[in-house]
Amino acid sequence: MKPSAPTSAGQLAGLTATPLWRWQVIVRPVIGLAMAMAMGAPPSADAAKADDLEFFESKIRPVLVTHCYDCHSGGAEKLRGALRLDSSAHILKGGASGPALVAGDPEASLLIQAVRYQDEDTAMPPKQRLSPAQVADLESWVRLGAPWPEETAPGETDGSQGGAPAGYDWKKWRAEHWAFRPMAQPLPPAVQDTTWGQGPLDDFVLARLEAAGLRPAPPADRRTLIRRAFLNLTGLPPSPAEVAAFVSDSNPNAWDRVIDRLLDSPHYGERWGRHWLDVARYSDGMGGFLDAEPLPEAWRYRDWVVDAFNRDMPYDEFVRAQIAGDLTPGEVGSGVATGFFAVGPTYISDGGDPEAQAQARAETLADRVDTFSRAFLGLTVACARCHDHKFDPITARDYYALAGIFNNTSTGLQPLAPPDVVSAVDAAQREIQEIEKLLVAAEADDDSQGRRPELRETLKRLRQQAPPAYARAHQLAEAGTSDLPVAIRGDLRKPGEPAPRRFLQIIAGETPTHFQDGSGRRQLASAVTEPANPLTARVLVNRLWKHHFGEGLVRSPSNFGHLGEKPSHPELLDWLATSFIHHRWSLKSMHRMILQSSTWQMSSRHDDAAFAIDGENRLLWRMPPRRLEVEAWRDSLLAVTGELDPTRGGPPTTSLLESTRRTLYASISRNGDRHPSDDFLRLFDFPTPRSTSETRAVSTVPQQYLFMMNSPFMRDRARALAARMATKTSPDHEHITFAYELLFSREPSPIEIELGIKFLHAPTSSPDERLIVYAQALLSSHEFRQIQ
Amino acid sequence: MRFHDHETAFRQAAARLSKRDFLMRLGSGIGAIGLAGVMDQARGRSIVSAASPLSPSPPHFAPRAKRVIQLFMPGGPSQVDTFDYKPLLAKHAGERPALVDRKSLRNTKNGLMPSPFAFKPYGQSGKWVSDIFPHVGECVDDISFIHSMHTDIPEHAGAMMMMNVGALQPNRPSLGSWLVYGLGTENQNLPGFVAMSPRAQPRCTLANWGNAFLPGACAGSYVNIAAMTPEAVMHNLQNTHLTPTAQREQIDLLRQLNQTHLERRQYDHELEAGIAAMEMAFRMQASVPDVFDLSRESPATLALYGDTEFAKGCLLARRLVEQGVRVVQLSLSIDDYDIAWDTGHENIVDGHARLAQACDRGIGALIKDLKERGLFEDTLIVWGGEFGRAPTSEGAKGRDHNHYGYTTWLAGGGVKGGYSHGATDEFGCSAVEDRVHVHDLHATILHLMGLNHEQLTYRYSGRDYRLTDVSGHVVHNVIA
Repeated sequence: MKPSAPTSAGQLAGLTATPLWRWQVIVRPVIGLAMAMAMGAPPSADAAKADDLEFFESKIRPVLVTHCYDCHSGGAEKLRGALRLDSSAHILKGGASGPALVAGDPEASLLIQAVRYQDEDTAMPPKQRLSPAQVADLESWVRLGAPWPEETAPGETDGSQGGAPAGYDWKKWRAEHWAFRPMAQPLPPAVQDTTWGQGPLDDFVLARLEAAGLRPAPPADRRTLIRRAFLNLTGLPPSPAEVAAFVSDSNPNAWDRVIDRLLDSPHYGERWGRHWLDVARYSDGMGGFLDAEPLPEAWRYRDWVVDAFNRDMPYDEFVRAQIAGDLTPGEVGSGVATGFFAVGPTYISDGGDPEAQAQARAETLADRVDTFSRAFLGLTVACARCHDHKFDPITARDYYALAGIFNNTSTGLQPLAPPDVVSAVDAAQREIQEIEKLLVAAEADDDSQGRRPELRETLKRLRQQAPPAYARAHQLAEAGTSDLPVAIRGDLRKPGEPAPRRFLQIIAGETPTHFQDGSGRRQLASAVTEPANPLTARVLVNRLWKHHFGEGLVRSPSNFGHLGEKPSHPELLDWLATSFIHHRWSLKSMHRMILQSSTWQMSSRHDDAAFAIDGENRLLWRMPPRRLEVEAWRDSLLAVTGELDPTRGGPPTTSLLESTRRTLYASISRNGDRHPSDDFLRLFDFPTPRSTSETRAVSTVPQQYLFMMNSPFMRDRARALAARMATKTSPDHEHITFAYELLFSREPSPIEIELGIKFLHAPTSSPDERLIVYAQALLSSHEFRQIQ
Repeated sequence: MRFHDHETAFRQAAARLSKRDFLMRLGSGIGAIGLAGVMDQARGRSIVSAASPLSPSPPHFAPRAKRVIQLFMPGGPSQVDTFDYKPLLAKHAGERPALVDRKSLRNTKNGLMPSPFAFKPYGQSGKWVSDIFPHVGECVDDISFIHSMHTDIPEHAGAMMMMNVGALQPNRPSLGSWLVYGLGTENQNLPGFVAMSPRAQPRCTLANWGNAFLPGACAGSYVNIAAMTPEAVMHNLQNTHLTPTAQREQIDLLRQLNQTHLERRQYDHELEAGIAAMEMAFRMQASVPDVFDLSRESPATLALYGDTEFAKGCLLARRLVEQGVRVVQLSLSIDDYDIAWDTGHENIVDGHARLAQACDRGIGALIKDLKERGLFEDTLIVWGGEFGRAPTSEGAKGRDHNHYGYTTWLAGGGVKGGYSHGATDEFGCSAVEDRVHVHDLHATILHLMGLNHEQLTYRYSGRDYRLTDVSGHVVHNVIA
């Protein structure tokens, strides 16, 4: 945490001040001790003096626990040198090199020789030498006769079977942590005001408001509503004509028709697909030196996502395709979806050093496990890479059970064509290459001059006849069927116990299926979308909610674990999740349900009394106003100036600021330093695509205003808007009204007209120039960057 | 006035919430110059000063240094040819004692190679320094040398990441961004962290000064010294089509438009922050070019630094820290080569002599200049590369990488002068005495800046991250 920041939650008090790993490691033996006592371990007949034991507990045990137990205890992933240092008996018995110490004689004790770093081969701990004070303490302790309190060695009483450490009470976690509990099918609560709501969703919200003594904000007016719906569902503002049509449409189905039209618009997928691309840490590669590969075909995955949203692909199918789409038999192109993993960072080492290579591999696998678990399950499984998760019931074996699946896959460019087409194209290309070689040889050899025309002719013919090249996409492919062992402290070169590939124990139970079908991805995909899995649907409906209301019901959308936030409306979350599954995982059904609610249709009006009670608007007493994402803002700028190029899909543009296509089609370099537009996007809070992103920052920095004031991009938009305004030959106030309807879907107030006229008529520069400067101010305005 | 009621409500709400909650709630906070730092400057008062990642933030304890200048030497300078004098190399030239027979993939199978450079003692401390660093030699009484540095791997990119982000892969926040995250910065019209190099950017480029998952405002802004225009310093810094007066009119118009919007919205903290940020942007158009304008320096100062590109960087570093920038990272490169010191492979004589010549005078001048201006006592200078080089030869005249032992030095804020910490073996191969890992160096730098490296954490992806990961011990011996 930053200095002097108060701890945020009571549950964390004291924790954040101590390095977490150490804290947790220290706790374990205490648990062991407590268990031993509870089991009635007999009191020592030969108890050491209390002072000595205190010295042991304060100076010696912490050193052993922190620096030795990862390799030398019952809890070690793999015991090294057959040596345990977690009980007096084990120490005296020693390991492969004999007894670890001779009580009373430090000089004769191997343990002391090791910590003194006397000999490089036996120097311990291997990575980090103990401080002189710690070594001196150990010497004193041995000299004292190595006093140790009476206890049972940890690890002998925890009855751990199948890798479940004593630390997790699986049943308790499943019963008590909200996210692991089976989804309830709650009934909508009773509400006092039965006239406000339009369905169960509203009842859940209203009941909480009423209980807190709050009233929902009044309904938004029609102009606000249609603008909100357009920006929200398509990322583009409505035209003045569309606004006018809706405002004057007295048909009771008018609103439903707006929703249907927007959900049918191809712009819907461009808007909502982009939300998913944040989660998928989508980029076109180019992650800098150790991850430098460009991914020239990444856009095919982007287009697949957009298309899946537009087609309303059921979410369970959407998930399965991204994990194992390439394994669908006989379907060409089904593997494009696995770009979800394949467009992620793939780290290398730059010199072949084994340590660096293992590290790069481990980091790449961590990306896969991290992205998989946070995106689909809202769990931070990557935290269990070096040790069992400190806060959630996720073991290191869970981590390696998943990592093993990804270790069995390769990433690369795969053809998007049936095998016969691929072999025909490849054969034709091979033939062409052979002739090319012959031709090169003939050109270098004067004696074969006569053959040249013939070869050229053949080459020409072959090239004409060759079937067109097939498209390719970055995909996963099967590359193994083995399990990975647990890596001691995350080091792949130090194998521990085996970790059979399987799903997370907290979900799959104590006898999980060993995934042995190929890499295991197909089974993994099924496990994620199994309706009994309590996480997948909850995580997704929460993401939907977040994009409609600014915050999710759970404000940590990719962390549903202990350190994540609890849901503000747990029953509503479950009701939405079960409805979602009931509606066959259809996102569009959920959008309809949400947009048809009184909750969504509330005004964003501020209310002092409500603010005093619920300043964070957790209970949703209004629709929170919020900043447009950079994509929607830039796209809206181009839309209102009439310049937007609506072409969909295809390879990305590397010069976004000279393009008029939607921002979604920008090339994104993972390192953020390849294209001029990288700076632009990040300045406006585009997430770093190095890891999955659950939410966007909303920053306000001067450089954003430098962009609005000074960039050629804004100047060009201002010119275009000024040109549109100037086509109206009518008086100034009509120019102004035209601009306000175009930009803000509303008429200007008398004050705004007055301000505009005054500015346009100032004599300091030409009227044309003033109009451009005025247009730029409107385009830079706060209101234009907001959804209200 | 209505506005005040809202502000009161806002303040009351802020008081109820912890800082972290508050940041969450703003949603922003975690963005960049949050509103308050901006408000502070623009209106001389603060609603929620805690919300700005860039506003000065108190350290964990009294700091010994307030700012850092990192003189980064990518490519791996050879310790035994610069600051770690090993006279025994000459005596045992060509021999291959067991001490240097370390497991390494590198080409270090030859015998010992004496340094081609002469060494002599400097200053009251009598520290022996190679002849290629005469200006630094003159400053030894102000320097703490750490001769017992070691790191994890002998590959440039990974080791550079270890040095600058504390991990082997480029996916962690940089040292500088951690410092800005922990301490904010003193001048809200300039970035908190500036990274510079002449021409080539160090390998892994942006990752060396990136923020990874820390708030965006903590990231270093990169400046290429060779192409130093205001536009290179900060994009869109200059308006090409409006006079300052016309631009002022435009900003006033936008301000009025936004304010009428504010009145209709009744209350909107984001909008206020935006108005203040816009005013600051207007001012930055002047302040940023100013700080990079070396023509404002006296001829005497310019003469002190000399005319190498690196020296220009040293002078800029002084100007930046003088103006309140928290961290400056200046990386050496010559001939457009991003890991300049790696020319040591082929030839230590030419490669290292040229590189030292490119930076020595500027570094000496920087120390003297900071001292003259009273800035030395609270400015920490860190000199060093990602690893060192082997005392054995590669080919006839070169040396290969060596991560078992190398030298880094510290000077300025809170650091002992004329001091040497730790040691390599008698041939300069491995750190054997008081070994210092890069994590320990980081812990020490944070400590000197008043930060406890175990407490400077950021929760991301389900756990608390630190610059020093799970390691790091402060090297108290180098602290005055």
